[in-house]
Amino acid sequence: MMDAPEDDDIRIVEHTADWALRLRGDDLKALFARAAEGMAYLLAGDTSVVPRDLSRDLTLEAYDAEEMLVLFLGELVYWAERDGLVFPVADLRDVTPTRLVGTVSGGRPAEIQKHIKAVTYHDLAIRQTEAGLEVTVVFDV
Amino acid sequence: MKSSDFKRINPYLYEIPAAHRPDMRVPARFYADAELLQQALGDKSLDQLANSATLPGIVAYALAMPDIHQGYGFPIGGVVATRVPDGVISPGGVGYDINCGVRLLGTRLSRADIAPYLDELATQLQRNCPHGVGRGGEFVLNRKQLEDVVRKGAGWALERGYATPIDLELTEENGRIEGADPAKISARAYERARDQLGTLGSGNHFIELDVVDDIFDETAATRMGLFPGQIVAQIHCGSRGFGHQVCTDYVARFQRVVHQYGIVLPDRELVCAPLSSPEGQDYLAAMKGAANFAFANRQLLTHLIRRSFDDVLAGKVDDPSVYQIYDIAHNMAKIEEHEVDGKRVRVCVHRKGATRAFGPGSAVLPDVYRDIGQPVLVPGSMGTASWVLVGTEGSMAQSFGSTCHGAGRVMSRSRAKREVQGDELRRGLESRGIRVRAGSLSGLAEEAPQAYKDVDRVIEVVHGAGIARKVARLVPVAVVKG
Repeated sequence: MMDAPEDDDIRIVEHTADWALRLRGDDLKALFARAAEGMAYLLAGDTSVVPRDLSRDLTLEAYDAEEMLVLFLGELVYWAERDGLVFPVADLRDVTPTRLVGTVSGGRPAEIQKHIKAVTYHDLAIRQTEAGLEVTVVFDV
Repeated sequence: MKSSDFKRINPYLYEIPAAHRPDMRVPARFYADAELLQQALGDKSLDQLANSATLPGIVAYALAMPDIHQGYGFPIGGVVATRVPDGVISPGGVGYDINCGVRLLGTRLSRADIAPYLDELATQLQRNCPHGVGRGGEFVLNRKQLEDVVRKGAGWALERGYATPIDLELTEENGRIEGADPAKISARAYERARDQLGTLGSGNHFIELDVVDDIFDETAATRMGLFPGQIVAQIHCGSRGFGHQVCTDYVARFQRVVHQYGIVLPDRELVCAPLSSPEGQDYLAAMKGAANFAFANRQLLTHLIRRSFDDVLAGKVDDPSVYQIYDIAHNMAKIEEHEVDGKRVRVCVHRKGATRAFGPGSAVLPDVYRDIGQPVLVPGSMGTASWVLVGTEGSMAQSFGSTCHGAGRVMSRSRAKREVQGDELRRGLESRGIRVRAGSLSGLAEEAPQAYKDVDRVIEVVHGAGIARKVARLVPVAVVKG
């Protein structure tokens, strides 16, 4: 059974066919870091089983903040599928809607529990709320 | 969406008028009975259907089949036809698993013939057919070899002895769509696919052994080589990470140009570009390549199923051979000619979780099926029935030659995991005589029968509406899940 974090910043949202996460963060850096952590839970079931012996540097450019989020998580989907790697920790030094620079850390768990085909743009909108930035991301699984 | 937002056209068809929203270009129609209608109202699928009616160049109606459920962008079960060449093509209208589809294989064996060997056969299928998250297969290909697969589809497998000419003849598009261009596919897609040819994947993909439970159209069943009590095999899978990456790449590319074409959409996942644009043409050529990869994938799994039957049954039964009945795609965009307002027009038919169902006489059908209509393969949920149908004149007249593709989900994956224990589910299926070989118990729970609609009800709707006709009902005896 998946051990989801289920705190106020990362919450699994009901979706008939796929998986969705509602994410919150004070700013884009925090929001994207929680997105990486939430996706790691989906992939590995429990991020405590993921080694922290690898890191990957990232530099991305995008058209807007939503596209940046899809590109960022898309990198993690690619590494999960090609190399079996999961990255629960994101140290993002610079995140704007059009540029992201940072490092993700993690490793290869014994097993990837959930295959994520892709990160979708479905109803994707990063919104400012009283609690900070909020977004719901739907993953095709 | 409320019930007052649509009207009933006939007992199996409802319409959301174009006036429902100012951005809808055409009405939206969906097939359902009263119960399936209530289930469709339980999620956002009908709103997604209305969204798909906003695509530029859409003709007639946005359509949804009775197995409709919430997806992303399009609903699952959606069919949208756009004008050629000035209408749009939408990668999200095909989905990430390009040419996800179903293959049905026949045997000359009865349930009694294989009963003593069923456990061993299920285990050997699981052993021989790579399945589950992250599992590669025995066919590890470099980029040049993968480009060859992109060009040749199932023909690549034929050249290497993994297929028979009849396998290809009895596959939609003969297992190869013309116009695939390997250069339009990213290096990342080739990287993802390097060891994925001949693998099942995970999620709702499966290999299943079924017994023919009932025959409804003896002429069509006999033509397909189906008989009561017969053991048949189904494969449900698609283009694996290769197709997922092709769709990912083009959804991202289209995001950057959609505004240049003056297109405004209610959901970014519907992103699209004119079919005649460079982006539209590139996506079409890449999508065809991913579709060819999927045809080759199901063909190699067929080879591995044949190997499994030989491993277990050779020398023990009279004839362990396995023959092709048909192979269909249910996630695809295709350029076809249909009648709209009394005129023959070329359209790009997006089927996302919908099956092509061409009626009798269609020139693209293999000779053996031309007078009965195209075989349509509709897998049910695990543990319930699957169906073999044929396309009809009605599907050509009403639904751009399309019909349903499965049972359709009704329960979220997270709820299914909360409410169903995978080990209990497996024991329950085993107690009904269904052998279960699953890569993951939690994955099994997500695919529990109670997470799906009643497939028999879905079939009654498409049969009653005349957009397909019942041929045979299958029930499972062994399931291999990813």
